[in-house]
Amino acid sequence: MMEKQNKELHVKNRTELWYNIAKNIAIVTAVLAGILSVLMIANFIQTKSVDPLNSQAISQLMTKLQENPEDTVLIEQIRALDLLARKAYFTHQWQIRTGSYLLFTFVLILLLALKYMSSLAPRFPDLTKGPETEKTWESRLLSRKYILYGGLGLVLLAFVLGVLSQTELKKIGIFQPQKNQATSGYASLKEIRDNWPGFRGPEGIGWAYHTDVPKEWDGPSGKNIRWKIEIPYPGFNSPIIWGKKIFLSSADRRRQVMYCIDADSGEFLWQRELNDIPGSPERRPQVTEDTGFAAPTMTTDGTRVFALFATGDIACLDFDGNRVWAKNLGVPENHYGHSSSLITYQDLLLIQYDQNTGGRLLALSTLSGDMVYDQPRDVEISWASPVLVNTGKRDELILNSNPFVMSHDPRTGQELWRVRCMLGEIAPSPAYADGMVYVVNDYARLAGIKLGESAEMVWEYIDDLSEVSSPLASNDYLFMSASYGTVTCLDNKTGERLWLEEFEEGFYSSPILVGEFVYLMDMSGVTYVFKADKEFQLISRNELGEKAMSIPAFMHDRIYIRGTKNLYCIGE
Amino acid sequence: MKLKKLKIFFVALALLCPVFVYSQVQERFPKPDFESGYVRPDLLTPAPRSVVWEYMDILVLVAALSLATYFAHKLRSRRNIFLLMVFSLVYFGFYRKGCVCSVGAVQNVSFALFNLAYVIPLSVILFFALPLIFTLFYGRTFCAAVCPLGAIQDAVVLKPISVPEWLARLLSMFPYVYLGLAVLFAATGAGFIICQYDPFVGFFRFGADFNMVILGMSMLLLGTIVARPYCRYLCPYGVLLNWMSRLSRRHVRITPDECNKCRLCEESCPFGAIKKADEETQPMKKETDVKQLAVLFILLPVIVFGFGWVGSRLDISLSRLHPTVSLAEEVLLENAGKRTEMTDATKAFRATGKPLEELFAEARAIQTQFHKGGWILGGFIGLILCLKLISLFIRRRQLEYDVDKGTCLSCGRCFAYCPYEQVRLGQMTPEELKELDRRDVSIKQFRA
Repeated sequence: MMEKQNKELHVKNRTELWYNIAKNIAIVTAVLAGILSVLMIANFIQTKSVDPLNSQAISQLMTKLQENPEDTVLIEQIRALDLLARKAYFTHQWQIRTGSYLLFTFVLILLLALKYMSSLAPRFPDLTKGPETEKTWESRLLSRKYILYGGLGLVLLAFVLGVLSQTELKKIGIFQPQKNQATSGYASLKEIRDNWPGFRGPEGIGWAYHTDVPKEWDGPSGKNIRWKIEIPYPGFNSPIIWGKKIFLSSADRRRQVMYCIDADSGEFLWQRELNDIPGSPERRPQVTEDTGFAAPTMTTDGTRVFALFATGDIACLDFDGNRVWAKNLGVPENHYGHSSSLITYQDLLLIQYDQNTGGRLLALSTLSGDMVYDQPRDVEISWASPVLVNTGKRDELILNSNPFVMSHDPRTGQELWRVRCMLGEIAPSPAYADGMVYVVNDYARLAGIKLGESAEMVWEYIDDLSEVSSPLASNDYLFMSASYGTVTCLDNKTGERLWLEEFEEGFYSSPILVGEFVYLMDMSGVTYVFKADKEFQLISRNELGEKAMSIPAFMHDRIYIRGTKNLYCIGE
Repeated sequence: MKLKKLKIFFVALALLCPVFVYSQVQERFPKPDFESGYVRPDLLTPAPRSVVWEYMDILVLVAALSLATYFAHKLRSRRNIFLLMVFSLVYFGFYRKGCVCSVGAVQNVSFALFNLAYVIPLSVILFFALPLIFTLFYGRTFCAAVCPLGAIQDAVVLKPISVPEWLARLLSMFPYVYLGLAVLFAATGAGFIICQYDPFVGFFRFGADFNMVILGMSMLLLGTIVARPYCRYLCPYGVLLNWMSRLSRRHVRITPDECNKCRLCEESCPFGAIKKADEETQPMKKETDVKQLAVLFILLPVIVFGFGWVGSRLDISLSRLHPTVSLAEEVLLENAGKRTEMTDATKAFRATGKPLEELFAEARAIQTQFHKGGWILGGFIGLILCLKLISLFIRRRQLEYDVDKGTCLSCGRCFAYCPYEQVRLGQMTPEELKELDRRDVSIKQFRA
């Protein structure tokens, strides 16, 4: 019995001894870990505040060195200081690393000591009390309740996550595409055709989809003129419209400006002068008077607007006039001044950039302005604008240039086909209808090109050719207006001339097809409305009251015309 | 003597691990030298292993599982289980940097099941299946001594408190939700969230995202008083192990003999996995329970369907975690002018020239998968909720103190509390056992 008691006492003493040792180790390591933690935090803060690459002392010495670059003593001083700063920085880092390992070791020892101590403290129940089995049943009742609440909580959480957080996506409509709704974030074809997003309207082919517009007006007397507003600076570009906002641009030797005008009131919503564009040339390029610095018509993708100027400056603003991006494409080598207008395709801004230095098709990201592709084209300089058509098989970007009319995949820039049929300085843009492309240039020809397996010229016409105004194709006819005042109508399948009319003034503007009628404005600002038919039938002759060279924009029941000084809104 | 040898073996293995680490460093290309003295940071994810070493991992896993089972069932030694656990922590945790692990392997298997083009490595299949097979026969010995995630938490258990039963039952729903989500995300290719949100892998790799380090530290801090919180209330693999363990025929028991209901083991389990004998229990009113149970049975299909419907409504929210959908969303928002700056991902995508419609079509297809998966996930959670509620109505008479097969981790903590264990170990004679005054029992007598 005695022996057993002694044995138990021995075990007890030994256990107590080990417990105390563990306790002391735990205390010591806890204190050390605490001190180390404080030191490490201080070290971390110090390291964060020290940046050797931007040391103030070094910066001051560097400034001195710029004044006296040959001072070798100063150079050595900078080097020594730089080395010192870097050494200090890396020493701090080493301290943090080493400290981490030390801290890990201390925590490990502390943990082991505590673990040992806890192993000596068994978990016995209070045996003086009875078993708590009754409570188990109570607890089960409670469990039922809380599991039920938990389930409801999950449902509620799922509801919040599932229903409330998806509103943004639903609003945009990626997952539930509906009829006529864009599924890709950029404007759908329907939206594009509902608006007037660029040069010669939707797709750039001169077709207006809003046909309920006035056929008669008179600028001088104010008949059917809803409003007019003076545009402060010059520009030959045409107005573009999205919703209730009209956009146009102006530029002269000193400034480049983008405007946004309210379509209902005719008031400026904003005007943005474009300064500080990276790469913008200090010396403006030489341009001719009838081209100017703002000949390219702007374009919009329904969210942002884009403008290009003769300087090669290109800018993107949002609908509120905030600059999204701006850059310089390189000053165009162009003896008249750059005039090719912009067009968008999905998230790409496409630019026909044919210069004296060579032809290029550029695609910039509409979002960032980053170059997506820069497709070289073996053509001469041109002033025509691209048109974007769907041939039934694919989307094609068709460009008129010398000597080739070329088609590109708008997504990649890859050339799809080319037809050699042009020469001279190309300004008229292509026309398109029903699988046929029509291109013209003075002293060259008017060519009808049929698209099929390969593109081929199926007819040509060589009289009364246009040098600036673009042709217009309806489903059956082709209309061509020339700068010396003639308008020709041809059968667009055969190229046979149906009629020719001569007018007082020449045409720089291009004809637009509005339902059954063609609207065509001459250089004096007189717009002729005639039937798009095999016989010439003039409907009206409408004076603007000032010279104009732009393309009218047709939206809802109104026409918007930019004269040389004012922008007019025509509506009954 | 045998024990001493075993201990030496484990210590030697643990010490050799760092040597293995450096012997495994493989570089396909020489590292560039930086004149500036720049030191390349270490990778946070382990490099792929050669096939030989994959087999070595499998061998180690089999050996560890076998030893854990042997220690728990045959030797009934908590100390050996603890030592093996330390080895597993060092090998599978710090040396193998927590990869491959059985918990994460759930996702590989799910991904492989739904993506036939994915060739799942043999080692991953075995890491997934072997612990389940061992559990099916012998209970969760994997959790006791092999799983590094369990080991790191077990190492910090200092003063565990008893979590109230209602709270424990409520929290035990989360592993099912986590498992469902992990399978859904893996099957749809959205990602391996178990690995992504592993709170301990940062410690194993000595580096992780700051938030994950904070989460891991919080989990370990919590683990000092709530034993193994991740294993009990989050581990998705634990759900499968729980199911297997319930079916196991040779599960560890508290007593090696018979239970004399001395109650000494009552508080010994920090995981609350001991079922108390309840012969003295006063039954509740049965009629109410039967009625409620009948209602529950009638409502079960409705609840499952309802949860399924709610799950399906999560399709858009959940699918956003898929990289393709997330990219599509970013592109969409940028196109709509709702993002002024492009992300690296959208820049890279746009540079490929891939048509946007193609991207959106892919995103829509993935969202459809999430819609279907949401139905299954919701239905699964609804079903588990109902089964948990039903189990609370079922009265089974518990004649003796025993482990709950599903939740017991076979850690062996309870063994030493049983007087019959002391007799088995020769620490106490059968006569002494008879004379034992339960109230004077001291743990010192029972230490194995």
